[in-house]
Amino acid sequence: MSPLDFVFQYWPAIGAGILGALVPRGDASTKQRAGLGFITALTTLFVIWLWPTEGAAQAAKVPGEWPHLLNLLIALPLVGAAAVLFIPRQMLSLLRGFTYVVLGIGFVASLWLLTVPMTAGWHFQYIKDWMPTLGIRYHVAIDGISLWLVLLTTFVTPIAAYASFGSIKTRIKEFCFALLLLQGGMIGAFLALDLFLFYVFWELMLVPMFLMIGIWGGADRVKAAIKFFLYTMAGSVLMLAAIIYLVWTHQKLTGDFTFDYLALSRVVLPKSAQLLCFWAFSLAFFIKVPMWPVHTWLPDAHVQAPTGGSVILAAVMLKLGTYAYMRFSMGLFPGPASNLSANLAGVAILGGILYGALVAWKQRDVKRLVAYSSVAHLGFVMLGLFSATPMGMQGAVLQMVNHGVSTGALFLLVGVIYDRRHTREVDEFGGLAKVMPIYAVVFLIVTFASVGVPGTNGFVGEFLVIMGTFLSERLGKFAGIHTVGAAAGVILAAVYMLYVVQKMFFGPLTNPKNKHLPDLTVRESLALAPLVLMIFVIGFFPAIFLDRMKESILLHHNQYKVVSGQAILFADERDAKLLPEDTFSPAFLKGMPKKEQPEAPAAGGEGSQAALGGEGKVAQ
Amino acid sequence: MEALKAQFPATNFTLLAVVLALPLLGAFVNGVFGKRLGKAGVRLMALSALGGSFIAALATFLLLPKGEGGGTLAWTAWRWFSLNGRMGQTVPIDVAFSVDAMSATMMLVVTGVGFLIHLYSSEYMVKDPGYHRFFAYLNLFCFAMLTLVMADNMAVLFVGWEGVGLCSYLLIGFWFGDEKNATAGKKAFIVNRIGDFGLLVAMAILLYYTGSLRFAEINANARNLLDPVTIWPFGNLPIESQWDAANPGANAAYKAIVHLFLPEKGVQVYASTLVGLAMFLGAAGKSAQIPLYVWLPDAMAGPTPVSALIHAATMVTAGVYLVARTSAVFLMSPAAMATVAVLGCATAIFAASIGLFQHDLKKVLAYSTVSQLGFMFIGVGVGAFAAGFFHVFTHAFFKACLFLGAGSVIHAMHARIHDTDKSQDIRNMGGLKKFMPITRWTFLLSCFAIAGAPPLAGFWSKDEILWRAFSTKIVAPEVGRLEPLWTWPSWLGQGIYWVGVVAATMTAFYMFRAYFLTFHGEFRGWKIVAGWKEPKHGHGHDDHGHDDHHDHHDDGAPLEGPKPHESPLAMTLPLMVLAVFAVFAGFLMAEPIHIEPLGHMLSPVFTRAHDAVVLRAEGVEKLMWPMMGPGVAAFLGGTGAAMVVYLNKGGAPEESFKKAAPGLYRLIYDKWRIDELYDAVVVGMVDALADIFTAADKWLIDGVLAKLTAAIVAFFGTVLRTFQTGRVQVYGAAMALGLAGVGFFLVRPHAEATVDDSKLRSAGEVVISAAPGPGYTYRWEGTGTEQKDFGVVREVRINVNPGETKDVKLHVRNAFAQEATQSFAVTRPGRGFPSSAAPVPLVPGTVVPAGGGSIPAKDIPGLINPRGAQ
Repeated sequence: MSPLDFVFQYWPAIGAGILGALVPRGDASTKQRAGLGFITALTTLFVIWLWPTEGAAQAAKVPGEWPHLLNLLIALPLVGAAAVLFIPRQMLSLLRGFTYVVLGIGFVASLWLLTVPMTAGWHFQYIKDWMPTLGIRYHVAIDGISLWLVLLTTFVTPIAAYASFGSIKTRIKEFCFALLLLQGGMIGAFLALDLFLFYVFWELMLVPMFLMIGIWGGADRVKAAIKFFLYTMAGSVLMLAAIIYLVWTHQKLTGDFTFDYLALSRVVLPKSAQLLCFWAFSLAFFIKVPMWPVHTWLPDAHVQAPTGGSVILAAVMLKLGTYAYMRFSMGLFPGPASNLSANLAGVAILGGILYGALVAWKQRDVKRLVAYSSVAHLGFVMLGLFSATPMGMQGAVLQMVNHGVSTGALFLLVGVIYDRRHTREVDEFGGLAKVMPIYAVVFLIVTFASVGVPGTNGFVGEFLVIMGTFLSERLGKFAGIHTVGAAAGVILAAVYMLYVVQKMFFGPLTNPKNKHLPDLTVRESLALAPLVLMIFVIGFFPAIFLDRMKESILLHHNQYKVVSGQAILFADERDAKLLPEDTFSPAFLKGMPKKEQPEAPAAGGEGSQAALGGEGKVAQ
Repeated sequence: MEALKAQFPATNFTLLAVVLALPLLGAFVNGVFGKRLGKAGVRLMALSALGGSFIAALATFLLLPKGEGGGTLAWTAWRWFSLNGRMGQTVPIDVAFSVDAMSATMMLVVTGVGFLIHLYSSEYMVKDPGYHRFFAYLNLFCFAMLTLVMADNMAVLFVGWEGVGLCSYLLIGFWFGDEKNATAGKKAFIVNRIGDFGLLVAMAILLYYTGSLRFAEINANARNLLDPVTIWPFGNLPIESQWDAANPGANAAYKAIVHLFLPEKGVQVYASTLVGLAMFLGAAGKSAQIPLYVWLPDAMAGPTPVSALIHAATMVTAGVYLVARTSAVFLMSPAAMATVAVLGCATAIFAASIGLFQHDLKKVLAYSTVSQLGFMFIGVGVGAFAAGFFHVFTHAFFKACLFLGAGSVIHAMHARIHDTDKSQDIRNMGGLKKFMPITRWTFLLSCFAIAGAPPLAGFWSKDEILWRAFSTKIVAPEVGRLEPLWTWPSWLGQGIYWVGVVAATMTAFYMFRAYFLTFHGEFRGWKIVAGWKEPKHGHGHDDHGHDDHHDHHDDGAPLEGPKPHESPLAMTLPLMVLAVFAVFAGFLMAEPIHIEPLGHMLSPVFTRAHDAVVLRAEGVEKLMWPMMGPGVAAFLGGTGAAMVVYLNKGGAPEESFKKAAPGLYRLIYDKWRIDELYDAVVVGMVDALADIFTAADKWLIDGVLAKLTAAIVAFFGTVLRTFQTGRVQVYGAAMALGLAGVGFFLVRPHAEATVDDSKLRSAGEVVISAAPGPGYTYRWEGTGTEQKDFGVVREVRINVNPGETKDVKLHVRNAFAQEATQSFAVTRPGRGFPSSAAPVPLVPGTVVPAGGGSIPAKDIPGLINPRGAQ
């Protein structure tokens, strides 16, 4: 393509880039202009590139899925983390530069995932035996659900790193190490389809976050770090027990050990065991989300964590809870998930959306307030999952991304003021809009995204979730009252967010300490720019996100619907059973470990019961 | 014209993009580059954006397909996202716009009045440092408002709906340095959000029943909403008889409570009523109706042009627009229509009563707006959608004119007083007619228009609404042979009519009260200068008022400051244009004299109203001219009374009323203290709830989950630590105790067995296997084969016939010749399972034989009951 063609094809991106460079006032540095221009041009390019065009679906020849792409995404930060250990700690720029390069390559590589049409089923699947005697495999794959969460991770972590290097001045080497390790763990957890592997990554990311809070945190950091660790650990241990029970049951049924998620999806546990295992898994995830009443670790962890840690914690780590609930709790135990959905939705609304919002309103520490607002926002995500309609689940996944973007931005913004004043008490502020107008504008934009004003990202997700709730069959007679409760949440969101905005930015500028605060620095504005742009991109063009997750969500939803029905119907009081393979879509089972001996009891329904009579019995 | 038509086909009418894009561009440029552009640049950008938008809107209006069926012009921008309907069908939500006669008229109002107000503001705000910010917000508001009126579906309407709320928030709090303004903005946004909550719920219900959010399809499928929904008891709550059946032994007090809450049979309403009420909640929030009107009077904290544009002419009428837009839905529910009409009527008279004694000129106009919005809701509530909408149209002109006139007055007063509150107080005005003639005349004409003086604009629209209320009723839609759930009572319309007439009288009274106090009599503004310190910038150009006010110099303070003066042309020109419209706009739909071009244009929009809205009685149409009498009398009476009280008697009767009934006067002046009521009830409750939750979060949840568990672990740690003394004697003693315990256990025999009853139901076979132990021998009783002595048979297999119960006894003897006994009862259910036999209560202290795949005994009552032990 000649340069002229390039200009003609991508003129909106070039125009947007020039516009972005013009936005800062006259005395702005070249770095800021170039940075903002670059970010705007890239964002525009991103939208152009993903824009659905006529015939694109047919024309898109399936490009080769490079099987090692996911390995690269997981391994790169992990290897990078190891490499950081060999860089001398005095070479600060090298440490930072190396981290940027690793995270940058990760982000660019993750964009590759978007080139593949996200049809139902697994993509970029890679399987390798790890511990064959126990049936543990290295099995990673991506679908339309994890796609956006992986992208969110690779998108937010570099921003968090960039912002952190502005405020963290001690132990840079350790910070780089923790950051890269965290990145690897999170991506791995989003991609793992082997329960053992998932558990490894799930625990792996706990360690660097523990360090981040414990080393670079605030005054009470050690206590908060331990609380964070113990809460999450308590859940994961239960999950481990349930995983082992599930694997053992599967081994009893088929004679093969496997930790493979796809294979284990076929197991229908006895009723009581099903319920126990569902709770063991879900409790681990609910703690991570966090759902009421296991949410109290979150405000403490956020308040003590450094800005970068808070951003990653809120933007990505909490999503692991919601993602894992969607993938594993709903996938492995659809029966109890379906039976309990109306009750759990009630908890999500009362304990999350309403309670979280009301408690947020009463917080005087801005960071604590934002942390409680996370509880409220993730209540919407969980509600979307409990409603189990394609709409609600799409809304939930989009809301996960939204929350990552807007709450990530909010934490960055709180970090900005904390760096200047070393306090986050709202009473210390007031009238900041006069001294820090750009900061105020950005804060206001992010606030309205968080409140869910249409045109910003928050609206689309909440809207889909609310509509999905009303049309949900799972919630049955409660759908109406749940909808009312969830919709009432939008009022409270305005109450607490506007409260903090008014207290901080409006009114007279009374506190003399605030009189000469500098506005956003170049680094801060460049870190915030992509997040603010994404707020509008998702708000105006959600289709480019929803289209890529739609097929996977439909597959997941249909499977959940069918299997939950089967599980409720066939679950026995005492025997575990194996669902026939044809209950599942072949796209889902692609990559399942195959048995060598061909005696698999593949008959369904009554036949399988007969076949199971002999060997399918599991004694306790 | 034809060329334009060819350029813009009706289904891809890209001119709408121009209408929308120009204000958005203006907002962006002014917001981001405004400070660099300078005031002239900002003014040029803002005015040309709105001007261009107005021209495009005018072209759209002219290109609108004419004819019987009406027509729409549509433009789809892009696919926003898609939803799923009840049957799982895809419901695409596009960023799409379509324009029919009603939205085209609204577009003209928004861009036209908007342009005039932009022009006015360019002078009014000229000294403000936030000039560019102001115009960015104002342009953004116009964009959002245009999105609202042009939206093709509810979701896009909601974008505009919240967008205008957002701009309103920003503009009310424009002077955010004052806490009061910021609070007013926040209040407006939150109260609007309560309404938006209703709109969200309404959208969910509409999606469920009509399977679409597009207005065209909602209106077409509105009959699907005639589905009865049980609203109480909801969820799993039973109706009273079910509860009684489930709880036969409940005591009387409990029963009484249940009787209070659970109905005899479920309360049913049509889904259309739910949608209508939810939507009206949204409309009430935006259009400041009871119970959500409280934000609008506070919203006057914003700059006056904002009050004119947003809080009088355009945004607040969005609720009326919404009801008219979804008229087909409302027509499916006479109950919802009646709610709209009655609450509109109540708002009209309630707000008018507050307006009677307010001192703040803008507050008077604000309550007047609330009251006039009430009239509009009466219109759409009684099915006179065109009339209600027409009042939106005329009200936009005269109320904008009144606000801008008030702004002009305040501008002049502010030059003297430099205090926002005092410069708006009509007690400080008076006699301004000789200083500001243009403002005075336009204000007067608009007062005539709003008071309903024939043949000005307000007369035609208000009279039409009241006449429709008087003469028509809403027929319930037919649902098969079922009785309608609610019918429109015949007295309702007449009641609304008479209340409306009283409200109209009050309107005339308070408007002319404001007029006379502002423009007639002596200028009282001289007096308040006394306490005012002359700022440093010296004397104004024509200060040192008149010689006849020299007495005020006596108290020492100088009589400084400029005298009030007429505003510049950029401010008076919009006043004059608006006044012309306030006078003549009525002839666009003057039904009694059959000049109604707008009416003809609008009628295709409301075709469905023709069947559902019928005359109340035979021959009532002959009363049209006579029923105009009370309306005219209201104008004459109200105006006359105001003239007598404030022009001829100088306000003395108001003073005497204040003395005669001070409590009532205070109450009305304090706006019936509704704000205080809300603060105490709603806000107080939510606040208390939040406090309780916050405390519970800290002490209860965190206390139990984190602190208590930590305390328990610490406790056990402490207790167990005491054993770890490091002394050999203690360890030795513990070991001896432990060994003794194990020894005792081994010496005692344990008659335990597992029961496998998996084949009991099918084959009647039960396997009982006793637990092994050191030197155990077993003796079984009741197994069929009698056993005299202890043997080594550890497992017995017994057969049970249907309906039979067998008692099996197990004796165990161990190596120390000690014996223990355990018995089991095995019952095989008869043919009709479950058997009616009452479950045999478990003997306490027995252990249900566990494991071996057995099911818990409580789940199989009467099957197996271990009885007795040892």
